[in-house]
Amino acid sequence: MTDDKRSRNEFIKENSRFLRGTIAEGLADVATGSISEDDSQLTKFHGTYLQDDRDLRPERAKKKLEKAFSFMIRVRVPAGVTTPKQWLALDAIAGTYANGTLRLTTRQAFQFHGVIKSNMKRTMQAINASLLDTLAACGDVNRNVMAVANPYLSKAHAAAHEIAVNISERLLPHTGAYHEIWLDGELVEDKSKSAKEEDEPIYGHLYLPRKFKAVVAVPPSNDVDIFAHDLGYIAIVEKGKVAGYNVTIGGGMGMTHGEIDTFPRTADMFGFCKPDQAVDVAEKVMTVQRDWGDRENRKHARFKYTIEDRGIDVFRTEVERRLGYKLGKVRDFHFDSTGDAIGWLQGADKKWHLTLFIENGRVKDQLGHNLRSALCEVAEQHTCAFVLTSNQNLIIANVTAKAKPKINAILKEYGITPMASSGLRRNSMACVALPTCGLALAESERYLPELLSMLENVLDKAGLRDDDIVIRMTGCPNGCARPYLAEIGLVGRNPGLYNLYLGAAFDGSRLNKLYVEDVNEARLLAILEPMLVRYAKEREDGERFGDFVIRAGYVKPTIAGNQFHADIELAKLAS
Amino acid sequence: MTAAPLLPKTAPFSPEDINVLNSVVARTTPLQRSWLAGFFAGFEAAQVGQPQQAAAAKLRVPLTVLYASESGNAEALAMKTKKLAQKHGLDARIIDMVDTDVSILAKAKNLIVFASTWGEGDPPSRAVDFLESLMGDDAPRLEDVRFAVLALGDTAYAQFCATGKVIDERLEALGGKRAADRLDLDLDYAKQAAEWTQGTLTKLAPADAADTATVVHVDFKVPGCVPDDGEPLLTPENPLEVEIAALVNLNGTGSTRETWHVELMADAPGFVYAPGDAIGILPENDPDLALELAEAVGLGADGSVVQKLREGYDITTLSRPLVEAYAKLTGRTDVTRIADQKAFTEFAADRQLVDLFETYSETLAPEQLFDLLRPLPGRLYSVASSPAAHPGETHLLVGAVRWDSHGKKRKGVASTFLADRRKMGDMARIYVKPNRHFRLPDDSARSIIMIGAGTGVAPYRAFVEERAEHGATGKNWLVFGERNYTFDFLYQLEWQEYLESGVLNRIDVAFSRDQPEKIYVQSRLWEQRAEVLKWVEDGAHIYVCGDEKGMGRDVDVMLGRILADAAQGDDEAGRAKLKELTKAGRYQRDLY
Repeated sequence: MTDDKRSRNEFIKENSRFLRGTIAEGLADVATGSISEDDSQLTKFHGTYLQDDRDLRPERAKKKLEKAFSFMIRVRVPAGVTTPKQWLALDAIAGTYANGTLRLTTRQAFQFHGVIKSNMKRTMQAINASLLDTLAACGDVNRNVMAVANPYLSKAHAAAHEIAVNISERLLPHTGAYHEIWLDGELVEDKSKSAKEEDEPIYGHLYLPRKFKAVVAVPPSNDVDIFAHDLGYIAIVEKGKVAGYNVTIGGGMGMTHGEIDTFPRTADMFGFCKPDQAVDVAEKVMTVQRDWGDRENRKHARFKYTIEDRGIDVFRTEVERRLGYKLGKVRDFHFDSTGDAIGWLQGADKKWHLTLFIENGRVKDQLGHNLRSALCEVAEQHTCAFVLTSNQNLIIANVTAKAKPKINAILKEYGITPMASSGLRRNSMACVALPTCGLALAESERYLPELLSMLENVLDKAGLRDDDIVIRMTGCPNGCARPYLAEIGLVGRNPGLYNLYLGAAFDGSRLNKLYVEDVNEARLLAILEPMLVRYAKEREDGERFGDFVIRAGYVKPTIAGNQFHADIELAKLAS
Repeated sequence: MTAAPLLPKTAPFSPEDINVLNSVVARTTPLQRSWLAGFFAGFEAAQVGQPQQAAAAKLRVPLTVLYASESGNAEALAMKTKKLAQKHGLDARIIDMVDTDVSILAKAKNLIVFASTWGEGDPPSRAVDFLESLMGDDAPRLEDVRFAVLALGDTAYAQFCATGKVIDERLEALGGKRAADRLDLDLDYAKQAAEWTQGTLTKLAPADAADTATVVHVDFKVPGCVPDDGEPLLTPENPLEVEIAALVNLNGTGSTRETWHVELMADAPGFVYAPGDAIGILPENDPDLALELAEAVGLGADGSVVQKLREGYDITTLSRPLVEAYAKLTGRTDVTRIADQKAFTEFAADRQLVDLFETYSETLAPEQLFDLLRPLPGRLYSVASSPAAHPGETHLLVGAVRWDSHGKKRKGVASTFLADRRKMGDMARIYVKPNRHFRLPDDSARSIIMIGAGTGVAPYRAFVEERAEHGATGKNWLVFGERNYTFDFLYQLEWQEYLESGVLNRIDVAFSRDQPEKIYVQSRLWEQRAEVLKWVEDGAHIYVCGDEKGMGRDVDVMLGRILADAAQGDDEAGRAKLKELTKAGRYQRDLY
């Protein structure tokens, strides 16, 4: 025995022959719809998760059936930009192989749910035929790189988009496993060489200790939620051009209930780089984390803990050493909000852009609200681009003045209004959770719309229907919908029970704080109603709900991630 | 409740003894009767070796009993005839059409043919070759042959008793002398078939036949083995009442299928079956339909009529003979008009009896109604369990049949009897229908390829269980097809265990609705043709079970193609090889 204390996943990666494992053999096994546990860790790097329909679990064994397994497939879309042709291709895949819906994620990617094993290769091939792929959409690698929505809005937006794409390409794994397994590519594994010698220049054969997330923002919009990510770039625009980027590091959302040495963390300001340095900086930051990150405890392996443990100055020194130059001083910037401006907007080049509110990013046809069909018909016009936002919304971009009425007419025909029914809903996000997510402890996507309708009654009483208030829900504490940066954060604990977090900043710069644990719907409404009514009456000019709850004493401000669990005074509530 | 006399007049006892026996038997329960059967079986077994009383017949003549059987009914009648023939001084040879050719006819002096028709009017698959040559120009002349044909069929289908009719006409055309008129019988054939056989044998018998009353030796020691000249103990007339121990819809929520796994506690000494056999269920009708039907003829208020309809009569099948009888009874010309073959086919399409009564509404007296109806037949299901793996139990796999037509919700009688109207702990009446033509190889070292779709997988569960229990060394390969992988993979967890333990060596699956193009079991066979050929070369037995039209035919064509492919694309050679396998009992099918 060795005293190798590395976590299980490290051994899986090490023995995987650059992410091959026995995935191909597992796909060929027709007796089960699942794959082995080790392989299901590896397929994440290929952009897909093994899941099962948890609603169906109770009946399956009785019926002599295994769990209702299927795969979630996440498509890598740097900065969320797709062509109409790609949209149509993805829509067709959703209808043919997935559950008939497209999910726009909180990271500007697409997700398919419910793809069964026998259809996996065809689906992956169809995605690749649309000139998109799923490589590194999940797993211990750099994930889909986000950027401020809509590169067509201004030159700065276009530059941000370009940086995002370049970072994504630079940090992509090189392994031939993806082609081999999914695309029936040639076997590129060179068995004469030892596994370690295969060309994986940036990652090496162990990849990263954990996932790594990078984003690019263009102020004053903080739609990408820059402080929630491992690595961020804030464009500094001078005279309409990007002069360079403020770099942020060490943000992250995930934590574990009941473990206070796990916490969400807002990113720190790291320095300033010129546009042509941005990709190198990304590589160096990520590779220092590759070398310094914790490979023994996966719950402590995210970059944010490396920064906590080592300190930002030590980290900066190492990055600058590897870069061979020093980063500049952070420049001034200002963020307004994390939300999207819903509706039509005219860009610098006079083209029009329509941001559609899409509840929880779920594109599907429902009675009287045939969003999926509507978007297909828009895509068939081929006059626009489809841009996914970081808030799970969709921008129909690059529309000529002439085409604009046509798009309005199509949307109307299918019962689609771009707007949300309230400011709260407009600023809402939910993760997928039940029934497919294996981590979910409570409902999220299936429940939040209902809860919002109840809260809208409260808003009406308070006269707040049109006010922007950020609310986010997740089914577990891992933070897919970035709940710890919401003015009202709801994190699932048990079926029907949520922890309520309050007091995050509207512009995404401050985490919220736990206000009350394990509340059900009735208590939640009973808690929020007087608070919102009071906010409506007592708020100062322009004061945000997240700031008000601190001033009013409901919660203390969270000044840094490592203070997330400090100063908690759980509300004592009459039951 | 008094039972009808069980021993027929033809039983090998004096009329007095028959009366005495019947009076005792009438008071027995199915269990007691089973016990008696077991007892005598043991008693006879103990007597083996003691000299049998020599049966000296003064004059004996040969009789050829030929049968074309699909589900085993014609075969059972043929077997039964052997016993009776002895009594009439006839030495009967019982021959399956699959095992012989037409030259046998010319040699026959006396010939009885039992012929089934199935599907819309097709001959049993195993008899197709024989019938082709019988119809051919080379068929022998039969001037010296005295013959009689009994035709079995189902009035629910268009060409009632077509096979028997064709044979009867052909034998005459070839010069044969008809010894008795052909009789065409519906599903409730047992009594009339016995009478016809008795009468026909009398006509064929030599004038001075000796009544030898040979003791019939029945060997019940081998489970499920119905002796060549024996009959199963449990019949539709003598069913076993059993408790339903489990009733589970195996299809997951989200499925377009509804397939019920039924476990029955059948722990009676006479209850024997083998993998490959079918179990008959004696169902009751849907009470709502019974009431609807009674109401349609003005008898809705008569509770006893409704009850009888529910329990005893076929109230769904709309047959042409019934329409004819209804026309005669009512004197309605509009009904007479739809009794015409073409008009009937048109009207009967997707309609049932209740539609006739509702469309051509008349008020009937109870006995008028009952005279129109045939008894409610049992429904057969391929057994899904091995008796060795589940002693005292028998398992069935039942696909629930439901459809909408002409504005009504229709339900399969027996399948919804189990699915809707019975629950765990309730009782059901069952009998055994042996199927000697769907049996595991005697040599357990032989490998088997099991091809089945939907409920067609049932006998393979029994096969694999049986082979596992007996430690059979032959390899087992399952090729299974259904609609959707996630919801319709019947017995998935069990197959996984058998793969894990090495009992099941291979599994291939075809789910037709998981992808844009339809994938069926035959596509998988073609993909795996090299392996199929290898197994066949190594002596494997091939089994096919399931829907005849949907799968049986396509798989048959595909197997022919695969065998032809091995013979450099020679289709003839492929078909010939398949026939050879059929004759050798290495290609067995259970289609419905």
